[in-house]
Amino acid sequence: MAILVDKNSKVLVQGITGGAGTFHTERMIAYGTNIVGGVTPGKGGQTVAERPVFDTVEECIEQTGADVSVIFLPAHFVKEAAIEAIRAGIRFLVVIPEHIPIHDMLYVREEAVKHGTTVIGGNTAGIITPGEANLGIMPDIAFKPGRVGTVSRSGSITYYVADTLTRTDYGQSTCVGLGGDPVLGSTFAEILLKFEEDDKTKAVVMCGEIGGVYEEKATEAISRMKTPVLAMVGGVFAPPGKRMGHAGAIVEGKMGTAKEKLEMLADAGAHACKTFKDIPETLGRLGV
Amino acid sequence: MRLYEFEGKQLFKKAGIPVAEGQLAASAEEAYDVVARLEQPVALKAQVLTGGRGKAGGIRLVDGANEARTEATELFGLTIKGFPVRKLLIEPKFSVKQEYYLGVTIDRANYKLVVIGSGEGGVDIEETAEKSPEKIVRKTFSIGEPMYTFDALAIARKIGIPQDLGKKAAAIIVSLFKLFKQYDAKLVEINPLVLTDEHELMAADSRVSLDDDAVFRHPELADLGIEKRHEEGEMTPREQQATEWGIPYLDLDGTIGMFPGGAGFGIMGNDFIHYYGGKPANFMDSGGGPKPERIAKMLVLLDENPNVKAIFGARFGGISRCDDFAKGVIMFLKDHGLSKPMVMRMTGNMWQEGVKIFEEAKEAEPELFKHIEFHGIETPIEEISKRAVELAREGGN
Repeated sequence: MAILVDKNSKVLVQGITGGAGTFHTERMIAYGTNIVGGVTPGKGGQTVAERPVFDTVEECIEQTGADVSVIFLPAHFVKEAAIEAIRAGIRFLVVIPEHIPIHDMLYVREEAVKHGTTVIGGNTAGIITPGEANLGIMPDIAFKPGRVGTVSRSGSITYYVADTLTRTDYGQSTCVGLGGDPVLGSTFAEILLKFEEDDKTKAVVMCGEIGGVYEEKATEAISRMKTPVLAMVGGVFAPPGKRMGHAGAIVEGKMGTAKEKLEMLADAGAHACKTFKDIPETLGRLGV
Repeated sequence: MRLYEFEGKQLFKKAGIPVAEGQLAASAEEAYDVVARLEQPVALKAQVLTGGRGKAGGIRLVDGANEARTEATELFGLTIKGFPVRKLLIEPKFSVKQEYYLGVTIDRANYKLVVIGSGEGGVDIEETAEKSPEKIVRKTFSIGEPMYTFDALAIARKIGIPQDLGKKAAAIIVSLFKLFKQYDAKLVEINPLVLTDEHELMAADSRVSLDDDAVFRHPELADLGIEKRHEEGEMTPREQQATEWGIPYLDLDGTIGMFPGGAGFGIMGNDFIHYYGGKPANFMDSGGGPKPERIAKMLVLLDENPNVKAIFGARFGGISRCDDFAKGVIMFLKDHGLSKPMVMRMTGNMWQEGVKIFEEAKEAEPELFKHIEFHGIETPIEEISKRAVELAREGGN
């Protein structure tokens, strides 16, 4: 078991004919991901990496049975592509591009909730279930199959955490990139509860970041979980009011400081970690 | 992207929200001319992209042109929370019987638009929300949901707008809501909405913040003279240079030059340096998939910063490739040269290629590499952080 994707997932790529789309499709296939086709309006009938390209998601699903989609498109095309995928019946959608207009993501989220689709991103490195499927842009080298799940706002942090879990032999069940944009397809709480349902996941590492509201919203979920949650929050020493790279990482007044987030998560029962080294130490102490 | 008061009011006016007829002045002489023409008492309002203007003395009521020149001279000498005053908005003075608050924003946690109203305007709404939450009226909407007049009438009634002005207030609220959606706003506020002695409603101030990532689809803003701008106050020369090069960069007050990969570890890496007793000299983000030229420029910024005593480099290639990263570092070493000690770690996507490029270059020109300590996946990032702190200490002595 794993969450959201495994070796049986049938994955399509929206924007497969673009530069990044093609490059990463080949990488995902090389990892063993079951990529069944792609979609680029107007390019139906072509092939990329020996996979058929369709004009619409609907047709791709009819022909290939795809149930998961990864979007590699410029930010301003995401709203339409995502709503197309959701309405066509995609169960799980990964939105790689960054800087998606906020109002667009609100529309996408509304549509996703209506149809019961799970969306992650924008500005996510993707999701990987090691040994089974790698959707997005994550580097294979950091991961190996195992028993700890991760969910993070940042790609680079995911790699460091996974690398730490790999070298200490815990490995990962599934690693989810929540995304770095200000409005995201899913919340920490929603992903954490999926890990809670997964037998293979013995603990979850969640990595939050200064700014935004999704860490605060996770406390209620953490307090009811049986699976232990380890929490890191980046930006404890960040200067307030300054924009640090991720569009989401802005301290909004008193809201969203890293210290407060970490305290709230710890109060809810999460085990706070300062550096990556603390993760295996904590897991050891918990007997994971 | 925040708009100046006068820009927000241009949008208000277009949307049919009543505002005072204002004029801009960019110098004390211009202020003199405007007030001389108007021949009535006016308010001079400093235009800055921050709140708290009134408290900082940024609004002056004046009676004649000479007084306007004197007060304007003072205003142009002010810096409010780091923002120098470059323009004044000059408006006829009006009487105030009552002040209300109206705003629309996004509740990101619940994925909803929120309309907020209060019968106590003119003050910090967050303070009101904290101290007297009962004085705040909220109504939430899905992004796809319209606001009807009855929704707006209900808000107007609850915040205490006089009954005979209810329909006018409702029209203002509906317009504000439409404007929020039309321009991809993150926040629009009328604070205060004023009830004058003449029993008229008027937006006395505007606060508008738009989504930077959606400005591209609003060319009509440029037609109004509203251009994309940097959000912060004054930038340091290095921040300005970095912005020109397209590199997200902030100066901090420490000694360790931070040369990280993505923004996520850019932020957390700064924490690590603190945990090991050091202080970062900057925050920086390479952006996704940087080319060698950008990598080289990132290092130029650090090497030329006199506060930097040592450089901390970290690259975990995802969408970014280690071969491009190595090429960028080598480009910098050849074209510019490294004058400070640097410890770096590189792994991830295409790391073998990166290491190979690095080793070949080092063999050819070992002299260029004398200040670099290079590590791969075998060394945990904590060790690299610790080492950077040590190097900065040695360099500082």
